Amino acid sequence: MESTPTLPIPISYVSGRYLLFSIDAVTYLRREHNICGVLIGTLPQIPQQNVFLGLPLELMPEEARVLVDKGVACIVDEAKAHDGMRSLLEEDRRQYLRDLESQGQLATRILADRKDQLREQSLKEIDEKKAKGLAAKAAKAAQAAADAQIAASSAPASTEKDESSSIFAAEDEMSSLSRTTGTSTPAPQQTMGITPTTSYPPLPHPVSSSGQYLPKPKVPLSYPLFAHLHSRGYFLSPGLRFGCQYVAYPGDPLRFHSHFVVVSAEWDQEMDLMDIVNGGRLGTGVKKGFLLGGPQKRRDEVESEADRIETVRTFSIEWAGM
Amino acid sequence: MTTQQTQLPSLEPSALTKLIESASASGNPLAATTIQILHNLQHQHLWTSLEIHDISTDSIASDAPPTLISGIPPHRIYTHPDEQLYMLEKGIAEDDLRPERLFVIPTAQGQTWSLRRMAAAFDSLAAIEESSVSEEAMSTSESVDSEKAKKLDEYYEKKEMAKETKEWGTRRALLAMTNRGMGGEGTVVYYVVQEGEVKPRQN
Repeated sequence: MESTPTLPIPISYVSGRYLLFSIDAVTYLRREHNICGVLIGTLPQIPQQNVFLGLPLELMPEEARVLVDKGVACIVDEAKAHDGMRSLLEEDRRQYLRDLESQGQLATRILADRKDQLREQSLKEIDEKKAKGLAAKAAKAAQAAADAQIAASSAPASTEKDESSSIFAAEDEMSSLSRTTGTSTPAPQQTMGITPTTSYPPLPHPVSSSGQYLPKPKVPLSYPLFAHLHSRGYFLSPGLRFGCQYVAYPGDPLRFHSHFVVVSAEWDQEMDLMDIVNGGRLGTGVKKGFLLGGPQKRRDEVESEADRIETVRTFSIEWAGM
Repeated sequence: MTTQQTQLPSLEPSALTKLIESASASGNPLAATTIQILHNLQHQHLWTSLEIHDISTDSIASDAPPTLISGIPPHRIYTHPDEQLYMLEKGIAEDDLRPERLFVIPTAQGQTWSLRRMAAAFDSLAAIEESSVSEEAMSTSESVDSEKAKKLDEYYEKKEMAKETKEWGTRRALLAMTNRGMGGEGTVVYYVVQEGEVKPRQN
């Protein structure tokens, strides 16, 4: 589970989007680098459902940029990376298909084993329950017998009862035995089809092969604030939900409520005081703080975006309640 | 019609208008804002020991509002969630604590604002706070219960430490906004502003 993918992680650039297709990369980035992204994959048959989305994971340009700046990831042109697909040797192709089939067989076997295990376990549970019920019945019968003895001392009736219950127990054992023997003959099952989410293999790993990466992602003016908060351990997600630029969580969003509704501004950008009232009210209304911040340097004042990140100052705003 | 018009008493300017007119001879609209907000703090929110700090002379503050207001609110305006937890654990009530001076940045609706102005206000606030801190610390509470006094001493010690580590929030001020237009109906809203990322209260 705690696997570390080969670094740097290739981020696929597809028509203006930054995507991740490897589940190992997705879990690794979330675990180690506080990057959540947004799952955008639906089932081709049911594209309307949007509650449980899967791979690929789309990253904000800011997220991709932070990872590239940290040296954890690099941007790969997805179309170019697949140029090699046509020149793939027939022999390699067949080998790859064979690999997929053996993976499918393995998956089928594992699934079947798990099914058997579950069945055995539930059968055991049923038997245990029955045994418990029988014991209780026997105890009750004994109690009743004792009561009867006290009342009229009619012994033969109680022994008859005991016998009848033991007969039932034998029957139960028989039936459970027959059920387990029934499952021991496995039905011939179809091999599962495997659809890999990444194209390496058959292609070589996109990072090791070319070494030609796309330039760093272009980021909005709010990037320094994003990077500043990210460096402080906050998880940031897109802010549309709360009418802001980012929502900042103090830990993994699955475990924490968010702390801030984040809005970035340039140092000399004129803003309406009403925007601060709006933000403050909104934040307080959803039990969050309104975080306003930005870098003190303009883009034309510095050589790189990294110099702006160090100059970020932020202010947390809450309604005073008076 | 005509008789009615002549009978109308000539409208007296409100007490607040008179105050603003008398106090701000300069005619600076920002000075009027300061006076209006001071008036609101004094009479609506019952703040005491109100002071106006002129920060316009500071070199950095050319963009900042020219004044800050400070005063002592009748009740605490802001308690950091971790501080609140500490107080609950130790059984300290807010009323046991000695009053604290709080700073207010006066602004008016429609006034332009920017991060630079906010930062300038906070920078000058830091300078004022440092100079006034010694005077504040002198005023000790006259508690009678020795056990409570000990608890409070512990609390103040912890508070000093928290000031360094910033675990109970950072330097804070109230951002006051008064409304302009609509006949100046006199609403003033207050927001707690703190520097840096300070986790929200659980209200």
